[in-house]
Amino acid sequence: MDLSVLLTFLIFGLPLIGFPFVIGIGFIRKNYSMYLGTSLIFASFLISLYVFFNYTVNGVVIQSSFNWLPGLPAVIPVGVYADNLSMIMALMVSFVGFLIILFSVGYMKDDPNRHVFFGEMVLFTSSMLGLVLSSSLLMLFIFWELVGLCSYLLIGFWYYKPNAASAAKKAFIVTRVGDVFFIAGIGAAILYSSGGALSVAGLGSIHLVWQKTIVSLLLFGGAIGKSAQFPLHVWIPDAMEGPTTVSALIHAATMVTAGVYLIARTYTIFTPTSLTVVLYVGVVTVILSGLIGLVVNDIKRILAYSTIGQIGYMVAALGLGLGATSIGLSIYQLEAHAFFKALLFLTAGSILHAVMNVRDINKMGGLWRKMPVTVTAMFFGALALSGFPGLAGFFSKDSIISASYGVSIFAWVLLAIGGFLTALYAFRMFFRVALGQPRSNAAEHAHESGWVMLIPVVILAAFSVIFGVFQQGFYNFLENPPAAHLFGIAPLTTLDVTPVILMLAAIGIAYYAWGRNSSLPSTVTNGARDLYLLVKNKFFIDVLFTNVIAERGVLGLSAVSDGFERRAIGGLVDASGNLFENSGKVLRKIQTGLARQYAMIVLIGLILALILLRIFILYGVI
Amino acid sequence: MMIFQLSYLFLILVLVMIVSMVARGKIARYLTILFSAFVFVFTIVNNMTLTNFDYGVLSILALSFQLNFVSSVLLILISFIGIFVPLRYGSSPGFFVLLQFLMFSLVGLFTTRDFIVFYIFWEMVLIPSFFVIGIWGGKSKNYAAMKFFIYTHVGSVFMLLGIFTMYFTEHASTFSMATLISGIGTIPMAYQSFVIFGFLFAFLIKLPTAPLHSWLPDAYVEAPSEGTVFISALLSKMGAFGLLVIFAPIFMASSFAGSTAVPAALIALGIFSLIYSALVALYQKDMKRMMSYASVGHMSFITIAVGGFLYLNGSNPLASQLLYYGAVFQLISHGIIIAMIFALVDTLERATGTRNIPSLGGLARQLPVLSFLILAAFLASVAIPGFSGFVGEISILLGSYAVLKYYLIFVLAGVVLTASYHVFALQRTIFGPYNEFLGNIKARKEELLVAIFPLILIFILGIYPALIFHIFHINAIQFLGGIHI
Repeated sequence: MDLSVLLTFLIFGLPLIGFPFVIGIGFIRKNYSMYLGTSLIFASFLISLYVFFNYTVNGVVIQSSFNWLPGLPAVIPVGVYADNLSMIMALMVSFVGFLIILFSVGYMKDDPNRHVFFGEMVLFTSSMLGLVLSSSLLMLFIFWELVGLCSYLLIGFWYYKPNAASAAKKAFIVTRVGDVFFIAGIGAAILYSSGGALSVAGLGSIHLVWQKTIVSLLLFGGAIGKSAQFPLHVWIPDAMEGPTTVSALIHAATMVTAGVYLIARTYTIFTPTSLTVVLYVGVVTVILSGLIGLVVNDIKRILAYSTIGQIGYMVAALGLGLGATSIGLSIYQLEAHAFFKALLFLTAGSILHAVMNVRDINKMGGLWRKMPVTVTAMFFGALALSGFPGLAGFFSKDSIISASYGVSIFAWVLLAIGGFLTALYAFRMFFRVALGQPRSNAAEHAHESGWVMLIPVVILAAFSVIFGVFQQGFYNFLENPPAAHLFGIAPLTTLDVTPVILMLAAIGIAYYAWGRNSSLPSTVTNGARDLYLLVKNKFFIDVLFTNVIAERGVLGLSAVSDGFERRAIGGLVDASGNLFENSGKVLRKIQTGLARQYAMIVLIGLILALILLRIFILYGVI
Repeated sequence: MMIFQLSYLFLILVLVMIVSMVARGKIARYLTILFSAFVFVFTIVNNMTLTNFDYGVLSILALSFQLNFVSSVLLILISFIGIFVPLRYGSSPGFFVLLQFLMFSLVGLFTTRDFIVFYIFWEMVLIPSFFVIGIWGGKSKNYAAMKFFIYTHVGSVFMLLGIFTMYFTEHASTFSMATLISGIGTIPMAYQSFVIFGFLFAFLIKLPTAPLHSWLPDAYVEAPSEGTVFISALLSKMGAFGLLVIFAPIFMASSFAGSTAVPAALIALGIFSLIYSALVALYQKDMKRMMSYASVGHMSFITIAVGGFLYLNGSNPLASQLLYYGAVFQLISHGIIIAMIFALVDTLERATGTRNIPSLGGLARQLPVLSFLILAAFLASVAIPGFSGFVGEISILLGSYAVLKYYLIFVLAGVVLTASYHVFALQRTIFGPYNEFLGNIKARKEELLVAIFPLILIFILGIYPALIFHIFHINAIQFLGGIHI
């Protein structure tokens, strides 16, 4: 085997093989699993770096596959495929994964089950790396399910919390709904290409447009579930019951962007029809999550809705249908988002660590003085999220908004409003956390975290600030040469300034409403009571899924089936049993033992038989 | 090349059985392992794709046997159960003699190429199962045993009538499967329909497919745990084997080949069975009963696969083979997974004194290892990648897209429902706050240790399915040929 292929396998293979040892070594001494887990992911990162700089930047696409299911008429490939897109994802995943696992060393140091936690984190990171390096749709799906499994296990890591157990279940089932569409998509791809389209390199072997549309829409269904787009976004906010580092790694930086990666990977089969669907699902998600994010009080849930919205931008960017430019826009937003959202989650984690896990932002306040480094980092995270000029989110998000103008003005308007909402909820959260007086006992006794938790935060903050400088190189890397009119490459126009003005206005409003004591929020909620209730109830989508479909629909149907099973089917079987038993009891009575009666019965039978024979002959049956 | 003759295997197995019967004490338990080892060695030293054993003709019986890839997979499963059960359970010697008798019958059933011999073995299997449920069963063991016996027997009567119909209308000299099946296209349509109905009825009861499944929950729940393990792992495979190796060739050789009514009905029945069993399972409180319905759900994939395979009638080789091979793989993976699950449910019941789901909760705190094993077994049952259940299920799902197109949504709904009740049960048993009424409980170490054995197999098959897939060759099943590339 070629060295490059071996190394690419090792990127995800090393932690995959290592994860049982991470748990195993924990039985000797629990802290060892923290060190082993962290070093495994660091090793993955180093290998990714090596592969990246030795092969990928030189234009080498590493491919290697073997047949997973021999004996079939077509090859079912599994293996690695490392091109620019895969490697840039692998670098991000291993780097952010390493930083978050390093943070976890401090964050989870007192948990009695931390060896299991680190084992699962390592398994997750390796599966995610496997996902981005997969050479075939089937292998992608395998890792797709494995990251989902890790997400399930890690959301339910604090299994004794009823909320965590319930959230884990919800996440599993909702993403499963998306996953089955992915399965159907693979099935369709196999059918329409005789198996050729299974491998990433062979996607072009689906030729007809309607076939491409079907396959791409089905795959997009999988992406909706995993990337928490409308209407399957309901699982992420609940998933915040898991440890915060899990939220940072899985539900912000990496796993939830797997859907975006899937679309980017299979972009060649997306037709204009399916791209329109993709665009509007993204746009609707942006607006929806922005509105809900404004009324939620749980700090982690605000970040969760923000994640949904930012992924909505990535999806919308792909839906613009600009070819490689779309992929560039979307993946750049993905990477920028990974940095600033991981940063926001980690700072939120530090804060929660300090305030005894009170997650209500109304019970915080005044933390800037108590935890200066953490909250300053959070400030930069919020600025980057809002798209403050010069920070990561500005280059990534605003370029998507500007690019959408050329495709659909309607989409541009909605995406720009989405940017306004983003800044509004981001700074609502920040001002409630950082400014004013501490509003609870826990917030008064908050203190700064240790260095293990600060180093990753500072690194991520630095990346959130300076990531913009990579924009040009990034586009060059994914699309050579990049489209010249792109935002950040061409000079700014009035069009590009609009989102910036909206963003600044949003920060101003946020300060006016939440940065100081103000009656504005309550005035607005009382004024628009109906709208407020609609948003506060998350547009009743959760209610629809949980109360109507799951509890009334499925559980009701299940109760009916159970009754049918016991009464109808079971009753029928018992009744037929009783029928034979009772007819036996009746017929038993003619067994009298009297020869005369037997002779009589024989005679009657004979006469009947002769009559029957006569009838048969008459009608020509015999 | 010297091959391990099947006749020698039968002789050895009978000898082992006789020794187990006369010997006292624990010897029967260990001899069962030896017994299984012979079956295993026999399977792997022969060509597992196709080996024929011809021992001439005895009056009207054709003494020809065949080890094809489906029977090889099932023989491996038999030997797994024959090793797992004695390791896990220290039951009475009589149980192990009955188990050996059952395994012997199954080895005969899966290898014979004669219909009467097939029927004899088919009925022989019922005897040990009946006694195991009737002697060592739970509260209503007599009811369950009688129901099981009579229900499945009704099915086999129709199969026997079907066999006789073929034999007499074709004027055959022996009951050899090869001749009888290849001649079926020549007999009148009414007789052909009856033959197809008879076999289908018998196999669908044995599989079982809802609504012909009601013997199963009672039999599984009332049987002792060791009985449930082998009944669930092995007996349902008789119906599946019948569908794949007997029914499918009969159908394809008959004048019905290429028609879509019967295959479509089979698919519909499979989908109904999948969704129905999942819905009923969701409502069950008894974990053992819930997993019985899970077993019905898993086997309904076989119905869907066979229906889809016959529907395609060789028109799409890739999809056909995905369906067929997926079904065969599903047999072994389901056998191992369900055996592990029922063994774990037993461990759980012994540790906590109950298998009632609402009375459990938060077991991960008190029984971490058992919880991990239950979690793993359930995930395998949900068909998460990495576990063997995934390979069979994904092959069938991918293959069935070619048949079902957008109707696949119903199968997928069944898949989601299946995941739901597993996860729902996990939430209420091993997750959540600990139920303090359970007190300070402990699971037996040796039982947990033994459960790792199937888990390892599940992982190996899930990660490297080529281990089984490399023996698959569709043309090895007679009359299904012509589906090559």
